[in-house]
Amino acid sequence: MDTRALPHRWVTIFLAAGLCFLGMAKESLSQSFMTKSGHVEFDSSVPLHSFTGVSDQLVGKISLADSTVDFYVDMHTIKTGISKRDEDMLETLEAEEYPFAEFFGKVTSPFDPNRSDPQKVTIEGKFSVHGVTNPLSIEGTLQKNGKELEATASWTLDMSDYKIKPPGILFYRVSEEVDISITASLPARDQIDDD
Amino acid sequence: MRTTKIILLYILFQLSTVGIVQAQMERQRAESNPTIDDAFWTPTLVTQATTEHLAARNLNVTIMHSFGIATENPIRNFFGFDLVQNVRLGLDFGLTDRWSAGIGRSSQLNVVDLRTKYALLQQNTSDSKPVSISLKGGVGVVTQENRRSFEDDLSTMVSAIISRKFSDAFSLQLSPMYGHFNRYEDIGSTDLFSVGVATSLHLSKRFALMAEYYPVLGDRPAGTKNAFSMGLNIETGGHVFQLFFTSTDWHLEQYVMADNTEQFWAGDFRFGFNVNRIFGL
Repeated sequence: MDTRALPHRWVTIFLAAGLCFLGMAKESLSQSFMTKSGHVEFDSSVPLHSFTGVSDQLVGKISLADSTVDFYVDMHTIKTGISKRDEDMLETLEAEEYPFAEFFGKVTSPFDPNRSDPQKVTIEGKFSVHGVTNPLSIEGTLQKNGKELEATASWTLDMSDYKIKPPGILFYRVSEEVDISITASLPARDQIDDD
Repeated sequence: MRTTKIILLYILFQLSTVGIVQAQMERQRAESNPTIDDAFWTPTLVTQATTEHLAARNLNVTIMHSFGIATENPIRNFFGFDLVQNVRLGLDFGLTDRWSAGIGRSSQLNVVDLRTKYALLQQNTSDSKPVSISLKGGVGVVTQENRRSFEDDLSTMVSAIISRKFSDAFSLQLSPMYGHFNRYEDIGSTDLFSVGVATSLHLSKRFALMAEYYPVLGDRPAGTKNAFSMGLNIETGGHVFQLFFTSTDWHLEQYVMADNTEQFWAGDFRFGFNVNRIFGL
């Protein structure tokens, strides 16, 4: 028996064991939830001309292990009920150049995935729209519901922070503040196609 | 040793993929090849229908005005404003995103018209569909008392509208069209052909120039001329105002072909304006 082989064998066994643990660790890290059909809406108010923009194509991913939250929506999927107004909105937001509104951040408050009741969470990160990125802290709720994660959040966006010039409607101006809310059910990652 | 190396490499690979798991998702457009919109801002330019369509459940309320000839006794008639020539009030409704139907009434001869338009093809960003093609049909009936039969008061038109948005600013449209009157004035049954030409030049998000021309091909009522109009679109957010100079005092294609006796470039033009207001229902 070659005595020099022993340490290598042990190293190999050790590494193999490490590999198993790493695989398990990665499994837990990849415990993520994702949807391509979240709901996002915003309310814009003008005297006599209030309107709501809605999209059901909000793409979102939440990874519990590292607490990352990643959401984006193609601005072209937002509908206000009047096609002409949709076109105005896309032009105002220069959507051909900046097609997405997006948020990437982390859940910074504790969240217990073993509970099934809605839990208030704080999410901190960066929100981008119209090519402008600003830090954003949002209060929302997360709820583990079987194999799904339900997420809700709302916040108020000030258009001037994102260099969005509110469009004029005759003699009125759209309010600079826009209330945004999202609701999404995110199935566990292994349940949907990644295409 | 070799096994150890392989395992180490595998661990490195695993670690690198852990990194990827934490990264942002790749942003993907929901529709990778969307259709072109805004070649024209309104479903009707001055008088010619465009390939612009109302979305489903959108109602377009239109008010179209044309005044008297601006250059005839300009001071006494205040450039024709004192002589309101024709006003067409119209409603058009988007049945689907590609199909609309509408009704209108013109004050001249009290013509009530029904019309429908369907988008056969819509230009897309990849240019796999390089043009938009829409089909339009309309029927008009003179409701002013004239001691003629109902059939004699009927007129119809059909057109194929072919447009291309060449750039963000420039769009061009050709509309082969056919108009028919069961009885036009004293002539009797009248058929008219034209290839309408329309164009739009966007100056900014709010302003666009436009022009349209009706070269009538073949037989036509005596003394009539090819109609021409040019003007300015003003998009105010909610409304599109169209201010124009035109030779014709009609807002219906078959009547524009049949009944324009003025020559625009000889100075016989009138002022007119259209107001478009779209409501979501």
